Amino acid sequence: MNDGSPEGHTHAELWAETVHGRVAGMRHFGAFSELEIVAPRIAAKAVPGQFVMVTVPGGGFLLRRPLSLFAVRSDRVALLIEARGPGSERLTGLETGDAVDLAGPLGSAFPVSGVASALLVGGGIGCAPLQFLSEELVRAGAQVTAAFGFRDFRAARAAGAFAMERLWVATEDGSVGRRGTVIDILAGLDLPPQTVVYACGPTAMIAAVQRWSLAAGLRGYASLEAHMACGSGSCHGCVVDTARGKLRVCSEGPVFALDEVLP
Amino acid sequence: MSASLALDQVDLRVRLGDVELAHPLLDASGTFDVLEYARRFEGDYYAAFPYAAYVPKTVTAEARTGNPAPRVTETPAGMINAIGLENPGIAAWIAGFGAWARLERPVIVSVGGNSPEHYAAVVRALEAHLAAAPAGSCPDIRGYELNVSCPNVSSGLQIGADPAASAAVVGAVRPLTRRLLLTKLTPNVSDVTAVARAVVAAGSDGVSLVNTFKAMALDRETLRPFLGNRTGGLCGPAIKPIALRMVADVAEALPDVPVVGMGGVMTGLDALEFIACGATAVAVGAANFTAFEAPRRILDELRAELAARGLRTPAAARGLALRA
Repeated sequence: MNDGSPEGHTHAELWAETVHGRVAGMRHFGAFSELEIVAPRIAAKAVPGQFVMVTVPGGGFLLRRPLSLFAVRSDRVALLIEARGPGSERLTGLETGDAVDLAGPLGSAFPVSGVASALLVGGGIGCAPLQFLSEELVRAGAQVTAAFGFRDFRAARAAGAFAMERLWVATEDGSVGRRGTVIDILAGLDLPPQTVVYACGPTAMIAAVQRWSLAAGLRGYASLEAHMACGSGSCHGCVVDTARGKLRVCSEGPVFALDEVLP
Repeated sequence: MSASLALDQVDLRVRLGDVELAHPLLDASGTFDVLEYARRFEGDYYAAFPYAAYVPKTVTAEARTGNPAPRVTETPAGMINAIGLENPGIAAWIAGFGAWARLERPVIVSVGGNSPEHYAAVVRALEAHLAAAPAGSCPDIRGYELNVSCPNVSSGLQIGADPAASAAVVGAVRPLTRRLLLTKLTPNVSDVTAVARAVVAAGSDGVSLVNTFKAMALDRETLRPFLGNRTGGLCGPAIKPIALRMVADVAEALPDVPVVGMGGVMTGLDALEFIACGATAVAVGAANFTAFEAPRRILDELRAELAARGLRTPAAARGLALRA
């Protein structure tokens, strides 16, 4: 098996081996694009909060892009992508039928069991993992309230990609929903006392949600993003400071307890 | 060129110093964490380990927290990293042996430090532990790779940029162990053979090269250095042609010294090119970041590349690119 012989090993046995997926659909929502990929092995195993490493198609890019699972629909996974640079721009240019390689699911999950009421707080592209989470929470019988913050009108069009019953939106320029940040929304919400908070977004937003949750006496989870190279826990490129010391977003995370991040 | 061979006619075994390897591929230190793969693998990863030997992430005498984020960024055909040798320190590292003692591969321990004494402290602690440890309680440690691409505590310059400073590290470690001693050379020098000669004269059994090239990337909005550490090390396919040239330089200057070649190996052909430039073994680094199954693929490709050329062993290809 490990003697270097050409036979006797099966790639199917490997952990998170590369899956050759096919684009099933691409929808554009302002600054964001929803990429749906047929990837049965990943779809079967994925749970909310996890991510995949996506190879930028067409060559020229060494590193894969870590992208949160936005939704899982039967044998397909959906990803929400914001074109920020040449790699993500190429990903958002994919069309139905195109080939795309990806590996996963990777990383830690949002705990959902025993949750009766959930508050989902997202900022910008950080909203991405919250759709999958919302569906899982609803399935588990939880009441879900969401508050999303976006820069402007174009970014806020991403809200159209989400299917949630109670979704509140704020924009910094006031063009959609409330003018301000997600924190301005939170202040006006009437939530049950045992509500669990789930946050994903820029560091400043996570810090604000952390302060707000502490003051409101609510516990919760934060999904963090970081510049990542390996996605396997090997390179220590994506470490963040936590109450437990430096931890890897790709391995111990991306989901951490809300009160242990940004110590 | 001879007629092509069947795949099973190729014998990939090589000997690196006194260490027998099932094939020529190793992982480049810091790019492949066996614990992380094993805990998620659907099967026995310790038996299925794809590399012929395991080179763990560099360990130092004391714990290091590493550099501030961001630590990695992509560049054309490569990436720059500035991790900062984050590691738990040798005592905690030894305490974790139980988790991976079952690995059925030789282990070559990558050692870092900022002075000869730092390196010696790591090797001394490991040798003392191995001498006293019950059988089966430790990984099969067969050698050391001295990572001299660390700043010297006294001068601030890279130890590996100075032949005398590099030789001093080897000289401090050599009396402490009879195991294979490799020195991992930095490419940030004008003549890599001068450092290679110095470390071999001081007792290094072989050399590995190249480590990363000191490099910089800017934030495209602010035009400030992107990495938290300001600079980092460039690796990936962008550096392969320079790495090949440096491996060839060393192999020609020191034909009897085993060389572990590395720098942007993405395919089996890349690995074969390093062997043709004189390498006995080849380390795979950034390719581990492109697919978790990359090592197995590269090994399959290396076998096929040898077979297609009628080369029965890696030794038959070694040095083909060198001047006669």
